[in-house]
Amino acid sequence: MNAAPSIEAEHLSRRFGQFLAVDDVSFHVEKGEIFGYLGANGAGKSTTIRMLIGLLTPSSGRATVAGHDVASDPEGVKAAIGYMSQKFSLYLDLPVEENLRFFGGAYGLWGKDLQRRADEVLELTGLAEHRKAITGSLPGGIRQRLALGSAVLHRPSIVFLDEPTAGVDPEARRSFWRLIRDLSRGGTTVFVTTHYLDEAEYCRRIGLMVDGRLVALDTPAELKRTWVPDRVLLVRGRNLSAGAASLRGRPGVRAVEPFGAGLHLRVAPEAWTGEAVRSALEASGGEGVSVEVVEPTLEDVFLAVVGRGAEAQAAQEVVP
Amino acid sequence: MSAERRPSRAWIQYVAVVRKEVLQTLRDRRVMFMLIFAPFLQTLVLGFAVDFDVDRVPTVVADQDRSQESRTHLRRVLADGTLHFAGGADSAEQGAAALDDGTAAAVLVIPPRFGADVAAGRPAQVQMVLDGTDPNRSNVAAGAVSRYFGEDALRRASERARAAGVPPPARVEIVPRLYYNPGLKSAPYIVPGIAAMLLVVVTTLVTAMGLAREREQGTLEQVAVTPVPASVLLAAKMTPFVFIGFFDVLLLVTVGTWVFGVPLRGNLSVLALATLLYLLSTLGVGLLISTISANQQQAFLGGFLFTLPAMLLSGIMTPVDSMPRWMQVLTYANPLRYFQEIARSNLLKGGGFADLWPQLVALAFFGTVIFGLAAARFRKRSA
Repeated sequence: MNAAPSIEAEHLSRRFGQFLAVDDVSFHVEKGEIFGYLGANGAGKSTTIRMLIGLLTPSSGRATVAGHDVASDPEGVKAAIGYMSQKFSLYLDLPVEENLRFFGGAYGLWGKDLQRRADEVLELTGLAEHRKAITGSLPGGIRQRLALGSAVLHRPSIVFLDEPTAGVDPEARRSFWRLIRDLSRGGTTVFVTTHYLDEAEYCRRIGLMVDGRLVALDTPAELKRTWVPDRVLLVRGRNLSAGAASLRGRPGVRAVEPFGAGLHLRVAPEAWTGEAVRSALEASGGEGVSVEVVEPTLEDVFLAVVGRGAEAQAAQEVVP
Repeated sequence: MSAERRPSRAWIQYVAVVRKEVLQTLRDRRVMFMLIFAPFLQTLVLGFAVDFDVDRVPTVVADQDRSQESRTHLRRVLADGTLHFAGGADSAEQGAAALDDGTAAAVLVIPPRFGADVAAGRPAQVQMVLDGTDPNRSNVAAGAVSRYFGEDALRRASERARAAGVPPPARVEIVPRLYYNPGLKSAPYIVPGIAAMLLVVVTTLVTAMGLAREREQGTLEQVAVTPVPASVLLAAKMTPFVFIGFFDVLLLVTVGTWVFGVPLRGNLSVLALATLLYLLSTLGVGLLISTISANQQQAFLGGFLFTLPAMLLSGIMTPVDSMPRWMQVLTYANPLRYFQEIARSNLLKGGGFADLWPQLVALAFFGTVIFGLAAARFRKRSA
């Protein structure tokens, strides 16, 4: 049981009429792992989560969560997991502690156990001082922490977080992710969807969804190596436009994009060094040019993956 | 209670949902108003306003005879209060102007030589011009006048017969004995009907909108991913409404008794059982509406589209017997009909289980079917 993966999805698909929202998705999530699920809106992230938590039956394929089959034993799944939906969905008209009390009771917590666990969660999420406050009167960041607290009240072995930080300010997002990492260290498996790519760096592994398909799945470092083999250069300086135009189309130059006042360049590492780019730009009238090699970000990975996904789809459409 | 005695999981879940529902209801002033104060207010307003008794019909009098006789007749015809003197006129046309501007609903015209004709035993006529927009009121006004002159003619004939030494004509008189509501007052009849209307409005709308709100705000989905079974969730959500329903019925019966003189002749346990069975239907309809509504507006509209025809087809305001035949058939599928029959019979006539079991069985049947359907749909949508 301990060695078995927390989540196993095999050839999972979900169809809504003609629309294939999730298309043959397979993955495993290990115990205690933070697993990030990335994709644009409508890529099938929420549909996948809803199948895994027993709200939606898969059209085909199978999945087990904490050892329970999602199609045949959704009640077993529900008791084992915590879920925080995309939209804040605690009762806004009730005080914080009453929300905890309600959801604790829904999971079968009672009496002193419930009281103790609610106190722990309030402490953990830093909400002890707000326990009597009406939930609707609290700012978004605090509400999100409360929602997370409510989702882990019954000590689930897995939590599903669907866009947990959407619309929350950066400081609150950072403190929220501290909570997620604490949970993971404590052995809780975290399955999280997001479209903030900076947050995805915190995940141990990331799955990337494009149009219902899981097109990439690996650690952030490995994804960058595989999907962005180019050297990314950040160029700053004045009068760069002529140089930029002349660089475009030269062998080994893969992309030249304006980036703030400067440029973002993707080049083949064997063909171009930073020094070579600098002299080429200065030869075309660039002044005070500085070139810096930057680590590719997950955003670069995402753009590369989405580009590839779109190509694959275009190819598919040609062959009926 | 000690920490060792841990109740069953279903009971813990039930208590948690009931507690949450009660707290939310207590915090929501609009709902509290709708559940408690509005029924009180509506009972008073409807009890006083819905009055089928007609009197003081404003009547313009055109006395073209202007004799001692005509003045006496007019004084007497106005004396019992059914007609109320609203002014004089010279002609029927002039009087009809008062119908046009709404200051009168009837015109009574006494033609020239009326007194002399009657005194001489010649046939005589009075004319009435009536506002027919309210048929009931014009019938009552015409009836009052014809009753007066009918009795007057009879009295005159008897006097003449006695003077001629022959026996007076035989009189056939109707002697009504009114059971259950001897004063023929509207309020004791209408108040039990109000109970049926109020319960359906309050419980159907509040349930439909409450669940639609949970769906709209996403909290229903959050509850759906907890292990609370749909049956426990529904039972717990309906529990507060059962108490509120009983409270409203009690409030109505109290106000009805104290303010409107509703007699309370029957065993109230019949009414209590009927209320429980009736709530099963009204809450079930509310639940059903919430499962086909995407948001609160739709739920409100749905509730309205159900409650209004249900009230009209229940026999609360108009007797089922006076509806067209096909419509009468529809009333058999209407839980409101059975509940109002039980409430009226139980309170006014003292109807008990022996008299009212068919209605109770019908209520139980519709309650089970409606609530069962609604629960099945709810389970399907939230599982």
